[in-house]
Amino acid sequence: MNLDGRKYVIIIVTLLVGIIYSIRLFYMQVVDETWTLRAQEIAEKRKEITPPRGVLFDRNKKKIVSNRTYFNLMMKESEMKNFDTVAFAKLIGWTREEVRERFKEIVKGEGTYRNKHTGKRSSNYQKIRAYPFLKEMTLEEIATIAAHLEDFPGFYEEVTSMRSYPYANGANIVGYLSEVYREEIDEDRFYKPGNNMGRAGLERFYEKELRGRKGIKYIVTSALNNAIESYADGKYDTIAKQGPPLNLGIDIILQAYGEKLLANKRGCIVAIEPATGEILALVSAPTYDPNLFIGKRNISKNYPTLLLDPSKPLYPRPLAAEYPPGSTFKLLNSLIGLQEGVITSESGFPCNKSVVGCHNHPSAGNLADAIKHSCNPYFYAVTRRIIQQNKEKSVFVDAEIGLNLWAKYMHSFGLGQNLETDITGLRPGSIPDANYYDKWYGHHRWAFSTIRSISIGQGEVMLTPLQMANVAAIIANRGWYYTPHFVKSIGQDGPLEQFKKKHYSLVDAKHYSVIVEGMRRVVHEPGGTGRRAKLNDIIVCGKTGTVQNPHGEDHSVFVAFAPMYKPKIAIAVFIENAKGGGGLWAAPTAGLMIEKYLTRKIMEKDREKIILEANFSGIK
Amino acid sequence: MRKGESIVAHFDWTLFVIYIILMIMGLSTVYSTAYNEDHPNFFDFSQKYGKQVIWVGFSLFLGLLVFLIDSDIYRKFSIPIYLFTLVLLVIVLFMPPVNGARAWLGIGTLGIQPAEFAKIGTALLLSRVISSVNIKQQTVKTVLLANSIILIPMALVLLQPDAGTFVVFTSFLFVMYREGITYDPIILKLLNGVPGFKFKETWVGTHFIPLLFVVVFLSLVTLLMSNEMLAFDTFPDLQITGFWVVVLSLSILAILIFLILRFMSSRRDRNRVILIVIIGYILAAGLVSTVNFGFQGLADHQKDRIELFLGLKEDPDGEDYNRNRAMAAVGSGGFLGKGYNKASVSSVESNHVPESETDFIFCPFAEEWGFLGTIILVFLYMFMLLRIIFIAERQRSSFNRIYAYSVAMILFYHFAINIGMNIGFAPVIGIPLPFFSYGGSSMMSFSMMMFILLKLDSQRREDLQ
Repeated sequence: MNLDGRKYVIIIVTLLVGIIYSIRLFYMQVVDETWTLRAQEIAEKRKEITPPRGVLFDRNKKKIVSNRTYFNLMMKESEMKNFDTVAFAKLIGWTREEVRERFKEIVKGEGTYRNKHTGKRSSNYQKIRAYPFLKEMTLEEIATIAAHLEDFPGFYEEVTSMRSYPYANGANIVGYLSEVYREEIDEDRFYKPGNNMGRAGLERFYEKELRGRKGIKYIVTSALNNAIESYADGKYDTIAKQGPPLNLGIDIILQAYGEKLLANKRGCIVAIEPATGEILALVSAPTYDPNLFIGKRNISKNYPTLLLDPSKPLYPRPLAAEYPPGSTFKLLNSLIGLQEGVITSESGFPCNKSVVGCHNHPSAGNLADAIKHSCNPYFYAVTRRIIQQNKEKSVFVDAEIGLNLWAKYMHSFGLGQNLETDITGLRPGSIPDANYYDKWYGHHRWAFSTIRSISIGQGEVMLTPLQMANVAAIIANRGWYYTPHFVKSIGQDGPLEQFKKKHYSLVDAKHYSVIVEGMRRVVHEPGGTGRRAKLNDIIVCGKTGTVQNPHGEDHSVFVAFAPMYKPKIAIAVFIENAKGGGGLWAAPTAGLMIEKYLTRKIMEKDREKIILEANFSGIK
Repeated sequence: MRKGESIVAHFDWTLFVIYIILMIMGLSTVYSTAYNEDHPNFFDFSQKYGKQVIWVGFSLFLGLLVFLIDSDIYRKFSIPIYLFTLVLLVIVLFMPPVNGARAWLGIGTLGIQPAEFAKIGTALLLSRVISSVNIKQQTVKTVLLANSIILIPMALVLLQPDAGTFVVFTSFLFVMYREGITYDPIILKLLNGVPGFKFKETWVGTHFIPLLFVVVFLSLVTLLMSNEMLAFDTFPDLQITGFWVVVLSLSILAILIFLILRFMSSRRDRNRVILIVIIGYILAAGLVSTVNFGFQGLADHQKDRIELFLGLKEDPDGEDYNRNRAMAAVGSGGFLGKGYNKASVSSVESNHVPESETDFIFCPFAEEWGFLGTIILVFLYMFMLLRIIFIAERQRSSFNRIYAYSVAMILFYHFAINIGMNIGFAPVIGIPLPFFSYGGSSMMSFSMMMFILLKLDSQRREDLQ
């Protein structure tokens, strides 16, 4: 037997192991990324630092949404020792059972995951992880507890940031925050459990800007999940960056005043700066205090109550409520009539109450007076001329052409479509066209007489208060508008691109002066329907509206702008079930708003008192 | 020794230098791994690196002593040395257990592990016994004697229990294989006891050791694969159990061997080749099936025990915890590593990899130095092993050669198993990486082993006289 050959067997076995190990090491360390990822999972924890959200300023640099520091009482079971449930319950003012329940809730609330290797399901809860035991406590609340926490190892406080609202106004504008849902976390990797997200209003629309940039700190953690040191001396860390501040066009003083005026009423006020399209105030009544929606505890307490309130305080009426505009709509029909050449500023129509009802006033000999008196038969005649221009023999075909032309004009005023404002929850309103009536009555089976209520802003015409205010702004500008918006600038950047584009109505600028004059007469001349909006040194141009309401009292409407030349404010006021016409309630409200905005003082104290005392809420 | 000739005249500097390099690399890794900010001094004896410096110094001192003693002593005194280590192995069984094993002699950190030194005693005595055997005339007595020398310390080590060292003792089988120790006398005795049988030699007896390794290897692979289930992304319905993977691999291997042998063998041998391959294949498949179905038939707690021993199960909580963490540490090293003292998974501080300065020291090294470091380390060990085999083969006395082979095979086992468990190739059994891991006993015993070899080698010429 040749034993000498056996040394080669041993050498080959040795070399083979060396070679196989080298290949394996090359594969593990250089080729295969699995282990690198696994190592990161094990030891290099990313700690995300959520920056405070961007704050909101009003047009006068008043902070209207800011951040406030809150505290979470954290617990880590692995560090708990000799936990005295009774003493702890006493410390936080709970019962023993409540404390036990909360523990169970935390353990259960963490969900389950499936171990790939064993196939076993187990809770995500880990004793070595920290969980908030009590969330969102104020400094005062934590202060009483913190002093005694050393008796309860495993418990400590952690700072978090939440919203605060120095002015309890504009809840429907700013919206609120609440914790993200599981699906939202899956959709957007920015969010982690416990993070907040904008739920309504500007918080939601500007979520991506306001949330800022998360900071990421890479730390090396030990097997017990304790941070040991920052990874690679912080080379890969990024610093958390707070979202830029939003500078709003809102005047918080005006907003607050508007909310005050509409107390005990249902309705809206929308005020726009015509030259810029910036929304100055957007009042939705009834409203609620945004401070009720700070934090999970408050939301779960207050949200159901507000949601079930029959007066719908959560409903953003100025954006979503679609109302018939009433007589304010006559302004638009006049403009279209002038542009189409079917009337002139000197056209006169008798106040013929046989076609449509009216109140007692002399027949209008010209357009401006017709506006002043808000003469229903006059505008019936005007609109008839627009719709039935006798372009076709058949009255039905003629009406179809006329109505579609009319609708096209209306769309150019931003009606019957969503105004792309920087807020969610908008409704388009409704401008009926031929298709619309074809569905109701059949093709070529309707004419102006069928649809005549559009001439006085009743029936199928629907506008949101935002659209009404925008119409006032278009007239104030004599023919154009910027899409109304809330945010003037995001940090150093100006408004979003879509708010820098001028939109022109299809009515030429020259036709506006007579309408403006009519609106002046409404307020400033005897016999005008809106005389309660009159101010001493400021010429207010307005138009009243009384919307017939088959379900109850009439709605009171007023659109206006002021001053007459170089207007600073365009406004729409809509008060539901106001037991009186536009001149009685909406006009003085608009007048007070204009006065407040332009002079910051209220001279008309009596008027203010009447409005403040009025109660149309149905609740005494 | 000739008069006037230096004591280091025939000293193998190559082996010595590799030994020193490995020791320095080990020291630096221990320093990095166990680094304590409050005690940055390398020579701070309250820290592990400070202690390791002491162990290294002590080992070199022991080495010098070993070197000053005449090499003949080791052969002459191999019986008392062996017996002395056995006595220590017995005494240690009466010591209080540390980490569940009665492996430590002494108090606290000053203790030694007799099992480490038992390897030297066994190597010396085995060398003496085998060198005195006439390989051509082996008897049942000589075979049993040689095997008993290994089996006695193995049994004692298993009682501690110390599975790692137990496995390392099987490295002597390689030495016996190299020296031509066969199990034929025993097999023949049994076979020829049957009337009508009269064999002079058997194939099984002569190739007993390699056969044993093949059987153990196949059984282990089968056991390791028994719980595996292979699934394919492209064929989601197709699932193959680990058992069939092993059988399939065996079949492919058989076909390959058959084809290779067929082309290489002459026409005359062809039938024999077919027969050998078929018989070998059937036997191997039978073995694999027996192991697999035998294992499946076991009760759950018995399975658990086997899986625990194989390192398939670390503890009931963390399935494969240690190996998984260790592999993450090694694999995350990348090509150039994370840099010295930058290990994130395997630093003692983070505690993700247990025993990262002793049994799992390869982890922090691989994490910090990356593939560049590990390939150099593998190369150094390979170079050392081949150098020892080279030294073994140049010995004129068979005692020296057998001893050198023993050292080579012990080191080979430690290298293969220790690194193997860091890369998922070996079950997690705690044995140190020679000259590298923190620990006094292993450092001193490996050093003594090394210096005895160097001494024997430096005096190899005198054996002729």
